[in-house]
Amino acid sequence: MSQQNRIDGGQIDRTATLNFQFNERWMTAHPGDTLASALLANNVRLVGRSFKYHRPRGIFSAGSEEPNALVQLRKGAALEPNTRATTIEMFDGLYATSQNHRGSLERDILAVNDLLSPFLSAGFYYKTFMWPRAFWEKLYEPIIRAAAGLGRLSGQEDPDCYDKGFLHCDVLIIGAGAAGLAAALAAGRAGLKVILADEDFRMGGRLNAETFEVDGKDSASWALAALAELSAMANVRLMRRTTVYGAFDHGVYGALERMTDHLPDSGGKPRQVLWRIYSKRAILAGGATERSMAFGNNDRPGVMLAGAVRTYVNRFGVAPGRNVAVFTNNDDGLRTADDLRAKGINVTRVIDARKGDVVVNTTGRKGLHTVFLNGDRHVEADCLAVSGGWSPNVHLTCHHRGRPTWREDIAGFVPGGELPPGMAVAGAAAGTMTLAATLSQAHETAASIAADLGYSGATGAPPKADDETFATAPFWHVKESKHRAWVDLQNDVTTKDVTQSHREGFRSVEHLKRYTTLGMATDQGKTSNMLGLAVMADASGKTIPETGTTIFRPPYTPVPLGALAGRARGKNFRPTRLTPSHTWAAENGASFVETGAWMRAEWYARPGETGWRDSVDREVLATRQSVGICDVSTLGKIDIQGRDAAEFLNKVYANAFLKLPVGKVRYGLMLREDGTVYDDGTTARLGETHFVMTTTTANAVLVFRNLEFARQCLWPDLDVHLISTTDAWAQFSVAGPNSRALMQEIVDDLDLSNEAFPFMACTDCTVFGGTPARLFRISFSGELAYEIAVPARYGDAMIRAVMSVGKAFDLAPYGTEALGVMRIEKGHVAGNELNGQTDARMIGLQGMVSRKKDFIGAALLDRPEQVREDGLQLVGLRPVVTDVILTAGAHFLSPGDPEDMTHDQGWMTSVAYSPELGHSIGLGFLKRGAARHGENLRAYSPIRGQDIMVKVCSPHHLDPEGVRQRG
Amino acid sequence: MIINHPLLGPRDAAEFVYLGDANLINRPEGLGDNAEDAMYDHVYLRDNPAGIHRELWYHEQGDRSWLVVTRNTLTHEVTSVELARDVARSMGRSR
Amino acid sequence: MADFSLKAAPVLGGLDLSIGQCKLVERTDIALISAAVPLDGRTAFEARLKTEWNLDTPSPATSTRAGPMRAIPMTADQMMLAFEPGPTLTEASVHAALDSDAYTTTQTDAWVILELSGAGATTALERICPVDLDAEAFPVNGAARTTMEHLGVLIVRLGTDCFLLLSARSSAQSFLHAVEISCDWTAP
Repeated sequence: MSQQNRIDGGQIDRTATLNFQFNERWMTAHPGDTLASALLANNVRLVGRSFKYHRPRGIFSAGSEEPNALVQLRKGAALEPNTRATTIEMFDGLYATSQNHRGSLERDILAVNDLLSPFLSAGFYYKTFMWPRAFWEKLYEPIIRAAAGLGRLSGQEDPDCYDKGFLHCDVLIIGAGAAGLAAALAAGRAGLKVILADEDFRMGGRLNAETFEVDGKDSASWALAALAELSAMANVRLMRRTTVYGAFDHGVYGALERMTDHLPDSGGKPRQVLWRIYSKRAILAGGATERSMAFGNNDRPGVMLAGAVRTYVNRFGVAPGRNVAVFTNNDDGLRTADDLRAKGINVTRVIDARKGDVVVNTTGRKGLHTVFLNGDRHVEADCLAVSGGWSPNVHLTCHHRGRPTWREDIAGFVPGGELPPGMAVAGAAAGTMTLAATLSQAHETAASIAADLGYSGATGAPPKADDETFATAPFWHVKESKHRAWVDLQNDVTTKDVTQSHREGFRSVEHLKRYTTLGMATDQGKTSNMLGLAVMADASGKTIPETGTTIFRPPYTPVPLGALAGRARGKNFRPTRLTPSHTWAAENGASFVETGAWMRAEWYARPGETGWRDSVDREVLATRQSVGICDVSTLGKIDIQGRDAAEFLNKVYANAFLKLPVGKVRYGLMLREDGTVYDDGTTARLGETHFVMTTTTANAVLVFRNLEFARQCLWPDLDVHLISTTDAWAQFSVAGPNSRALMQEIVDDLDLSNEAFPFMACTDCTVFGGTPARLFRISFSGELAYEIAVPARYGDAMIRAVMSVGKAFDLAPYGTEALGVMRIEKGHVAGNELNGQTDARMIGLQGMVSRKKDFIGAALLDRPEQVREDGLQLVGLRPVVTDVILTAGAHFLSPGDPEDMTHDQGWMTSVAYSPELGHSIGLGFLKRGAARHGENLRAYSPIRGQDIMVKVCSPHHLDPEGVRQRG
Repeated sequence: MIINHPLLGPRDAAEFVYLGDANLINRPEGLGDNAEDAMYDHVYLRDNPAGIHRELWYHEQGDRSWLVVTRNTLTHEVTSVELARDVARSMGRSR
Repeated sequence: MADFSLKAAPVLGGLDLSIGQCKLVERTDIALISAAVPLDGRTAFEARLKTEWNLDTPSPATSTRAGPMRAIPMTADQMMLAFEPGPTLTEASVHAALDSDAYTTTQTDAWVILELSGAGATTALERICPVDLDAEAFPVNGAARTTMEHLGVLIVRLGTDCFLLLSARSSAQSFLHAVEISCDWTAP
């Protein structure tokens, strides 16, 4: 029979029927159901197996606190383990399976663990798997890993997409139950910008689950009317299916909105959105969570929280049992009996702990059958509704390390100490356990926030209700019970584990938690922490507040990693920057390399070339023999202007800049304040008050930041202004003996002779009949070379035009690899050498460093390490046997010395194959290296297994006098 | 975290880059007899208080202002945000 | 002299898209020139803006507009002039007009300019823009520099449902992807 437990009433849409599958069995449900309510309606009581003992488990709660009814939702790549059946909104075609069993759910072979339970108590792992030591990795760990965990991952890439977002409000109201709705009404009416968020798909909280009256209406109808009023307010945003999972600094809250989880198909839209909510104020109206009591076999399917029983009966129109017993320590639990009877459900007995009646045991193989009481009594029941009182949901109040305080009258922790700034708490979350008091407290809280924020609109009258009775007597643990009594259902922690933890000395709450794993499961102990504390307090003879409570941290409920990643997956992990010639390069055989966010051409393969070395060697030779072109737009470019621009540069560069003439470029060496080389580049003077600085590609952002620091914080009264122009220019290096002839074809009406436009000259000009450009005569390759820059919008046209003109010179485009080879041949330092430990002496530039001015780095040029006699100096290296390929990272040893740090002479920083020299070459740092040219050393690389002889030489492997670049 | 920018109002800390102790503004002269010792202290020695701390933040994804933010390192409470340029001038820095 | 004249190419090819309730257009008709105010030169600079274009100096969070010229705040002492060049108003004429009263730099090529408009524009931006775009907090002409999907962005509100988004030219494709996805994922 279908939905045999369905009863009248409830907030489900009976006009529509949904079909769903659980463990391959088709069943029906209605819109408005959760998977849990639908399973109960279809009389499915066994839904999973417990974590450690593989005990049969059923549905325990009706909300996000659920410890038992965890299922795997969907299948294939979309499979999601450990989802709570109590929060899964029903949709047509829903597919779920139970988890944590081997074999069928009914006949789980790992249920044998339950028989072994005497050996599997707290600390079992720590004690058992210690010996023999060698068994851990090979035997114990694989077995434990295979048995551990609850659900299984699909092992496939997550097929869904996730997004993030940003929201702003005057007041964020967390929870849309009685308190949240009352607060939202008051705040919304007053005109505040309100966000009302609730984890449920139906707002109203307990109003939907109880049979209260508010303003003369039944509570669920009042909630609907309140939501209708709120929906009509433009200043109120209702966020259903949204869990506020964390309270962060300065009014920032994290929230997870489930966008398409309740739909059969996401339609390509994000499954979930992770919101960052900026709030001026927040009201936590998160309610309270009911807790159980510890008695024998209290984990059996059919044992359920009393509040959940009322939820299923009142909200979902489902009878969780036909013969229900109630076990309670408070008045709230008694209402369960009334609500059940009102629906015609048989209540077999109300067991009130305050009257001395307790449950000592339950039986029923895969679901509750009989409840045993003290005094040798028993009663038949297929459902036992248990209420051990309610714990205010204080979690978010503790996210800034606030500690909750104990209130004896409600036997619960309430928000205490310092709350996160801007947060107020109302309703059950604040320990206000009755309806009328909750409504008025929430209303007042919102009204006072409105007044604080300067809103004078009328808040309206607070909703009216009667206060129900609330009398609770703390009662936690049926000690006369001889059977195992569960504290934490999800992690299978029993009262015996807690008392054992105490006996073995793990008595602080934090130790208890780690030793027994109490509260460490996916539910973070929402229904179990209080009970565990109470049992520990009892064992140690202390009060609960003396025993303490653990710290709550975000997230309140689990947040999928996919949501935290958002869009940052695959190639969208970070932005990509493209050079102006990128499209052309891709069309011409370039392969690209990531340098920071940039994609740069590393070489241009031509047909017939069998490997990258073929391409790179050809590009180097073509450049050195005729002319090559390389896109260097990625170098940082900073426009520096102002009356004091020259003086500013003089302060940030180690070498002199005051007297750089207009129309000239100078190499600039930038140090850190500790004297270490920070960056280098060229700076051109375009006018008296106008410079353009270039930086390395990698440091462009950092140099700009440091220059702003110097400008604003160190010398705030210099008239100097910065703006980045890196992206504004398409800049190409044109290098090689024929570069002048080629450039003469490109630039309009400019004499490029060595006399008219010498090495280190620069000028504004035009190219190809009028396109504005800048021309610099600078060289990184050591060849006669120019850099020509055009506005980026002309970059693509420029490279195509230059390549056409260059045909006559066999112009070859070259990539970063050839660039690297040529700078090593020339002995120019780059990132491998400028690694944050290098000073000017090491790279032979100490003569450039001014001793007459103050600049960043001036004071710490002569620290002992920098002036030591055997300091490291840049050298060139060549293999003694020339067909050997050098290895970067190899260390230098004098022949005959042992391979240890004491005899270490330095290391190889960069290597390349020089096609012009026909062998491998290197650069490196060597102790007293400048004086050791001609010496033979061992280059020893134990990592690569290389030990070869190298000859020390000048770092300028080619053209040491610089004749080519000045020619 | 939110930084209440003196010109722009509250902005997400994600727009900012952190540097450290605002005392970095007090750069000693790089030339002179005592320069090396003074710069050594400046570069390497800084307080790391548990409590009120004046520190430098840079609005890199914003208006490129360097700010002096007074923050309680225990609570993250921000009690004052000033333009570093104004602070530097008030400390007598000029050109 | 070879016979080539270089043709300008917009970085996104002059893109023009409709996605859901959003319209997304690459504005290739806007020139950008940054103007830095010389130290102690604010009075002269402000007077110059006024006499040249009757333009008010923008406040830190609001752009100003007069005729074809818009001034967008960039830093405490720098702003961006955005305009549609015409026969008399050119990049050169703006540089020349400001000559001694500001340090100017052509920025047209440094940025990609997207105009996002339509009923879905603010909802789309909720997914990437940390700035509060509520009409009260960010009214028409409001301007802010912020970060979207790790990219620096200058956002200006041109109308209730119309925004100008400037981001670095080299990462234009990544920026377009960020905005496009936001429009698509928030489309009804």
